[in-house]
Amino acid sequence: MGNLVQAELRKTTTTGLWWGLLIPTAVLALGWGLATGLLGQFFVDFASSSDVDEVSDFLGVTPDQWKISLFGMARAINISTIFPMIFGAMAISGEINRRTITTTFLTAQSRMHSMLAKMLVYVLWGAIYGLAIMLFLGIGVVLTSESGQLPDAGGWAMLTLVCVLSSILMTMFGVGVGALIPNVAGTIVLLLLYFLVIENVLHLVLAYLEVPAVIGFLPNGSINGLTGSVAVDLFLSSAGVVPTEIEDVLRAIAGAGGALDWWWSGLVFLAWSGIVFAGGWAVTQSKDIT
Amino acid sequence: MHDGSGLIAVQNLSKQFGSVTAVHNLSFTVSPGSVTGFLGPNGAGKTTTLRMLLGLVKPTSGTATINGRPFHQLGQPGRVVGAVLEAQGFHPARSARNHLRVYASAIGVPDAQADQVIGLVGLGTAADRKVGGFSLGMKQRLALATALLGDPQVLVLDEPANGLDPEGIAWLRTFLQSYARMGRTVLISSHLLAEVEQTVDQVVIISRGQTMFHGPLDRLRQSQQRRVLVQPSDINALASALRAEGVQAIEQLPDGRLAVSGVDSRQVADSALKAGVSIYGIQEEQVDLERLFFQLTSGQYAGQAPAPYQQQQQGGWA
Ligand SMILES: Nc1ncnc2c1ncn2[C@@H]1O[C@H](COP(=O)(O)OP(=O)(O)OP(=O)(O)O)[C@@H](O)[C@H]1O
Ligand SMILES: [Mg+2]
Repeated sequence: MGNLVQAELRKTTTTGLWWGLLIPTAVLALGWGLATGLLGQFFVDFASSSDVDEVSDFLGVTPDQWKISLFGMARAINISTIFPMIFGAMAISGEINRRTITTTFLTAQSRMHSMLAKMLVYVLWGAIYGLAIMLFLGIGVVLTSESGQLPDAGGWAMLTLVCVLSSILMTMFGVGVGALIPNVAGTIVLLLLYFLVIENVLHLVLAYLEVPAVIGFLPNGSINGLTGSVAVDLFLSSAGVVPTEIEDVLRAIAGAGGALDWWWSGLVFLAWSGIVFAGGWAVTQSKDIT
Repeated sequence: MHDGSGLIAVQNLSKQFGSVTAVHNLSFTVSPGSVTGFLGPNGAGKTTTLRMLLGLVKPTSGTATINGRPFHQLGQPGRVVGAVLEAQGFHPARSARNHLRVYASAIGVPDAQADQVIGLVGLGTAADRKVGGFSLGMKQRLALATALLGDPQVLVLDEPANGLDPEGIAWLRTFLQSYARMGRTVLISSHLLAEVEQTVDQVVIISRGQTMFHGPLDRLRQSQQRRVLVQPSDINALASALRAEGVQAIEQLPDGRLAVSGVDSRQVADSALKAGVSIYGIQEEQVDLERLFFQLTSGQYAGQAPAPYQQQQQGGWA
C-alpha cells in the first residue's frame, strides 16, 4: 500500500495540474479576502452613520467592532474549495481519459488498493489546498480590514481548521464523483453546475417551502454549514445577546442557512463523500477497461 | 499465491460486448521457454483475450490464468507479468523517466530500475522529454520499458511491433527470443504472421473469437504441402506416369496445367522424361505461410480451414 501511495503522489507531482489549479485558487481566495475587507469597511461606515443604531444596540457593540470579515471569509472558503474538488475529480476520470488507468491497474494488487491509495494522496492535497486558501484569504482580509473586524487568534485557528477540513472533504467528494462518472468534462460540468447553481436554487425552494432544515443535509448545504456555522458562532461570541431572527439572517449571510453545528455539518458531508466514493468504487470495480 | 510456473492458461474463455461476441469459447496454453505468437485478423478478439488475461476485462464465461491464478490473485502482479497493451497509456505532460518512476514505485522497485529499462529500450536520450512529443515508435518502446520494470516472468505484448522501425523490430525479435531462452514466457499478438514469423516458435491462430490452430510454427509450415505446377505436352501421359510412381495428389488446373503435391520439380521432370513427355513450363509453389494464415482466418476460405481447435497433444513444445 505504501508503494501505491508513493506512486499516486508521484503522479500528482509530475504533471502541472496541481499548480495549474492552485494558482486560480489562491487568486480567488486573495480576491475574496480583499473584497471582504472593502465591503466590510463600506458596511461599517454605512451602519455607523445612521439609522441602523438600533441594530448595534441589539448586538451590544458598536459597528466598528463587528467581526463581519468572518462572513466574507466563510463564503470565500466555500467558493475556493471548488478548485480542490475539481482537482480530486480528475484523479480517476483523468486516468481513464488518458488511458493510464490500464497500467495503474496492472501494477496494483487490486483496483480497491489503487483507489484507496489515490484517496489518501488526495486527502493530503486537499489539506495543502486548504492551507493555501487560508493563507491567501488571510492576506487579503488583513490588508483591507480594520483590526476590530478581524477574528482573534482562537478565531483564526478555528477558521483554519474548518478551511482545511472543508478542502479535504471537497477533494474527497471530487474523487468519488470522478470515479462515478468516468468522464472528465462530464464530471467537472456536473460538479460546477451542482455546487454553483442547482443546489442554490434548491436552497431557495426549501426556504420558500419553510423547510430550511433540509438544506443542512444536502451536500453543498452541509459543506457550507461547516465553515458558515463556525463564522456565525465566532461572530456571536463577541456580539452580546442576539435575537433568534437576526441570528437566522446572520446564518444566511454566512451561507449556513438551515445548517447544523459545524462538526455535524462536516460529518454529513463526509457521509455524502462516502456514498459517492462507494458508488465510484462499485463502478470502477466492475468496469471493463478496453 | 501463484505457482511460479510461468504458464498461461486460457480455458473456454468467452466475452460478449452487448450483441458482439468478441471471444468465443477460446482455449490455449502458453508455456515458458518459447515465444508464442497470438495471431488473428483485425477484430478477431486478440486484445480482448489479452485484457481478460490481465484482469482488465471481465470474461462472460471461462477462465484465464497466469501461474495458475487469475490476475487479481497474483499479489504483486507487476513483478509476475509485464504487459504492453497499447502505446496510448501515457500522460502527455509527464516525462518518460517520470512515467517509469511512477510505476516503479507502484511495483516497488528502485528508481534505478526505471533508468535501466529506459536505456534498454533505447530511449536514454529522450528520457526527460515529455511523452506527448513522442512518436508512435517511441511510445511503443516506452510501453515495453514499462512492462519490463518489474523484471516479470511473463511478458504479454499486444502488437508491440506497431510503429517500430526495422531496427527496432530486429532488436525486439532478439530481445524477446533471449527473454524466452531464460525460461520465461512471452506471448505476443499480431495481425500479421509475417511480422512475427521469425520471432515466434509457437502460434495460436484465432479468427472471429475462436482458435483455428494451436501448436509449433513448424507444424503449421508442414501442414501446407508443396505443389509443383507443370505444363506438359501430354497431360494424361504425365499423370499416369506419376501415378505409376505412387504420386496420388494430382490435380488439373483450369489453365490446363497439372498441380502435383508432395513431390519436388525434379521428380516431376524425371517422370516426364521417362514417359517421353515434353515440359513447356514448370514451377514449384513455395510454402506461403501468409496465404495459409489467410486461409485459416478468412471467412471466405472457411471450407478449407481445419476444424476449430481441439486439444492437440502431439508436438514437442510442452
Ligand atoms: N469495449 C467494447 N465494446 C464493444 N465491442 C468491443 C469492445 N472491445 C472490443 N469489441 C469488439 O470485440 C471484437 C474483438 O475486438 P479486439 O479488439 O479484441 O480485436 P483484435 O483481435 O485485438 O483486433 P485488432 O487486430 O484490430 O487489434 C471486435 O468486434 C470489437 O469491435
Ligand atoms: Mg487489438
